[in-house]
Amino acid sequence: MKSLLRYFLSIAILTISVQVANAQCNPDELVNSSVTGLPGGYNFLKSYKIDGEPDLEKIEFSYVLTRGTSYILTLRDRNKDLGTVVTLFDSQRNKVATNKIGSQLASALSFPCNATGIYYIQYTFDPGYMRCGGAALGFKR
Amino acid sequence: MKNIFYSLALLSCVACSSGHKPDELAFEQSLDSANSSGPIVDPELIGGILGQIPSPLEISALLKASGTRYDRRFLNAPRNHEKYNTSYKQALNLGVYGTDLGYTNIYEQNLDGIKYLSSIKLLAEDLNIGQFFDLETIGRLAVNSNNLDSLLLLTTQNFNSINNYLQTQNRANLSVLLLIGGWIEAMDITCQVASLDESNKQLHETIGSQKIILEQIMLLLSFYEHDASISALMADFRELESAYESIDITYTYQASTMEIVDGIAVIKDNSTTTINITERDIAAIRNHTNIIRNKIIS
Repeated sequence: MKSLLRYFLSIAILTISVQVANAQCNPDELVNSSVTGLPGGYNFLKSYKIDGEPDLEKIEFSYVLTRGTSYILTLRDRNKDLGTVVTLFDSQRNKVATNKIGSQLASALSFPCNATGIYYIQYTFDPGYMRCGGAALGFKR
Repeated sequence: MKNIFYSLALLSCVACSSGHKPDELAFEQSLDSANSSGPIVDPELIGGILGQIPSPLEISALLKASGTRYDRRFLNAPRNHEKYNTSYKQALNLGVYGTDLGYTNIYEQNLDGIKYLSSIKLLAEDLNIGQFFDLETIGRLAVNSNNLDSLLLLTTQNFNSINNYLQTQNRANLSVLLLIGGWIEAMDITCQVASLDESNKQLHETIGSQKIILEQIMLLLSFYEHDASISALMADFRELESAYESIDITYTYQASTMEIVDGIAVIKDNSTTTINITERDIAAIRNHTNIIRNKIIS
């Protein structure tokens, strides 16, 4: 009985701590870190605050990408190992890029654009990971 | 010597303006002709559309990469800022000067850049958003070409911050004008360069691809059509839109290939776009762009 109580108590503490961590998400420093993480030769374009409250499953932004331009998106989050997945969709909602390849998550996405158009940059979260991060978009010709 | 002169000029400008604080009342009062009295538009919707418009910096980088020489005659003269005495004109020309500053930055013409920064600071102060420009820091970066990356970063961040700020102040109409001014200036520069180098197919394609952006701009303008100034601007943009009507952009999707290299997801984009644009289209677009741009900067 005691061990059952202890089990539920630890689950409750874990849940509360994750929710508190999310509630305290301050993505500014993660945004700054992603901006400074842009590799040399790339010009900064935009930064994104990724603040997924406990019930927010995805966060999405759109941007017009231009053919002939190389883009890079750098990503930081509050997890020890990255838990944020970024996926790029074209205007017809076809998937064109992601930082999750197999079971690996990359902290940057390099995308030399071959088709001008509106793209959707979608952030989702691996289960059990904090939904708090920042990203920066850069470009070079 | 010139560097010292501009630094001193810059510092004196900073000294004059250092006591200025943002003032909500003054900010509201400054929104004379650009004031919004019509229906309230969802700020998230406006912010989303504004956020997807590419930075004019991308076009400046394209021009430089294509081997085009720096030419300040393409730009709006910095001293023209004195002519802009309505918030409508100030916001549009803040965008124009933002593009001009990016152009000088990309070409590492930092002394010209400082002149634009001074004009930008003055226009921003007129609109009560001068707090976003720390000229002392920017000026320090501008006099040394080694700091180009930091300068570009700082000025881009400043313009992004202004857009966010205006949206939170429910004055996204000024943000829209700022964006439109920046876009039309980048378009005008591109069209001028294209007219000097008619064999540059990449520039023609860039001009054609702006049809996608123009559609978004028309959408933004439509939200503020009740405003007399914006309504007149929209009429001019409709002429430009008609020049784009015959341009055909075909998109073909093909799945990308992806791999992780040194911790970076490297994507090979296999999709393509084909843009059909003729010399006649380019000439019509150049003409309408130039008419709008000249009205804005006059």
